[in-house]
Formats: sequence, structure tokens, C-alpha cells
Amino acid sequence: MIRRTSRLFTVGQSLLGNFGINSSNFLGASHEMATTMTCNNFLSLQQRTFIQMRTNLKVVDNSGAKRVMCIQALKGKKGARLGDTIIASVKEAQPRGKVKKGDVVYGVVVRAAMQRGRCDGSEIKFDDNAVVLVNKQGEPIGTRVFGPVPHELRKKKHVKILTLAEHIA
Amino acid sequence: MRLEKCWFCSSTVYPGHGIQFVRNDAKIFRFCRSKCHKNFKMKRNPRKVKWTKAYRRLHAKDMTQDSTFEFERKRNRPERYDRNLTENTLKAIKKIDKVRVDREARHHAMRMKGKKAKVQREAAKELEQSIHMVKAPAVLREDSSFTLPKIKVKASHQQAEENHPMEE
Repeated sequence: MIRRTSRLFTVGQSLLGNFGINSSNFLGASHEMATTMTCNNFLSLQQRTFIQMRTNLKVVDNSGAKRVMCIQALKGKKGARLGDTIIASVKEAQPRGKVKKGDVVYGVVVRAAMQRGRCDGSEIKFDDNAVVLVNKQGEPIGTRVFGPVPHELRKKKHVKILTLAEHIA
Repeated sequence: MRLEKCWFCSSTVYPGHGIQFVRNDAKIFRFCRSKCHKNFKMKRNPRKVKWTKAYRRLHAKDMTQDSTFEFERKRNRPERYDRNLTENTLKAIKKIDKVRVDREARHHAMRMKGKKAKVQREAAKELEQSIHMVKAPAVLREDSSFTLPKIKVKASHQQAEENHPMEE
């Protein structure tokens, strides 16, 4: 009896050993699957949010700046949205322009990847985050604006930007 | 207020529904619901996705050219309000819709025309060929009521001749 149980014990141990190896393989494969699947899901269900501190924005006028980093959203606790004003620091500028690198400027968000609800119930969203530099009074520093702008700017009294725009979405 | 068309599935987007996506080249894509929006983000071509109107029109499943479609063109000039005009337009919309639906039904019927006869022919052929999967051949030979009579005969004296091989 004792010998039989010992043989069974050793057989059982070897089986379990094999099973352990197999299970680790399975786990590895499923883990890869899980990460690839979550990568796919992550790309397609990207959640766009507000423009807050440290957000990089593109500058779409000819004031001289190229890239700007938000340091403060003037209205809103969670951040700025389409049509809001922000305070930003110029990170990248063209050599001869009205602003230099390191300047602290005001800007109006004209394109935001986060959707904004319209008064008729629909929502609108753009491809990227873009800003037009303005002075303290709200007048644009540059003389041209590139790309589409939303007509939410009319309500926010940024009429000058709308007149300069080439396409109003 | 304007009723738009969804870019992906071509259904109407009523006010209060859907998402508008503006690309940087100022092209506006309107979607009726998140299903169409997600398919767009996956970069699917609506002409290849079976349930969209674009696919159906491309593969001739739905009507492509019809005079009723001319009435639905996009008009950018606002019309001055005229009560008679509005009344007549509303009546016309109803009638045009009815005509369009009738024509679509007729198009569908034309498309499905030979189907019933084809289905019956295929069923008869299958019965003839694969009856051995249902009943064993030995049983069939014994009892000829399990098989279909092969040919429908018109003259009566021919019928006697036909029955001979079957009974054997």
C-alpha cells in the first residue's frame, strides 16, 4: 500500500510539473493577447479631455510662435475647452516674429480634440488642439489665421478672429 | 434647422443627434451615431461595409438613379416664407415619398425575381440526389412511395410504360 501511494505521489508530481510549465505558457500567450487587445481598444476609444497645464498646442496664426504650452486655463476648474482663453508659454518660435521663445502670452483655443456640445444638441470636434495668440484685450496678435475655426467664437466675442479665418466650421 | 446625411451610412441626422468631426483641411464629417463614428475612426471604407447605403448603391442592391432623387437636392438659398408654398411642399413630400417607396419595392422584386423557382428546383434536385442520406436505398427500392414520381406524364398509355422500371 505504501509503495503504491509513493509511486502515485511521484507520478502526480511529474504530471503537476508538466502542467505547471504548460500553464505558464498559456499565461504568457494570454497576457500578450490581452496587451495587444487593450492596445487596440485604447487606440480606438481614446478619451479626449480638457486643455490644462502642460498641454502643448499648435499656434495657427502668423504671430511667430509655433508651439505653445498652456500654463493656466482662465475659466473652468478642469481645464479649457473650445473657445476659451488660456495663458501659455511659447516653447517654439520662428526666428523673426512678434513673439519669442519663453514669452508668456494669452491665447484663444480655436480647435480642440475634445467634443463640445452645440446649442442644437449636436457635438463638434476637431482633429488637433490649436490656439490663436491674443493680447490682454482679446485682439489677435497675428494677421492671419489658418485652418477651420468654430463659430462658438462669435458668442465669446472673438469676432476679429472669425473675420480673419479662412473657414468657419 | 437642416437634416444632414451621415457620412458613413447615409441615413438622415436629425437635430440633436450625432457628432460632427472637422478635419484640418476643413472637411466636415457628420455621423448619425457612434457606430458610424467608430467605424470611421477604424478607417473603414463605407463602400466596403455591407450595411451602408454606399455599398448597397454600389452593388446595385438599391436604386441608384431615379427622378424622385432630384427633389432631395441640397439648396443653399433660403426661401421666403409663403404659406401656400409650404402647404404644397408638404403635400408633395408625402406623394414623392410614396412613389419612391413603390419604386424601391419594385426594384427589390425585380432583383428577387427568379428566386422562388430557383429555390424549388434546387430543393427537388437535392431530394432526388441526397435522399439516400435520409432513407437507406434498400428501403427506397421496396417502397416506392418514399421517392418522388420522376416525370409528370400527359398521355395515359405512356404512364403504364413509366411505372414498369420504378416498380422493379
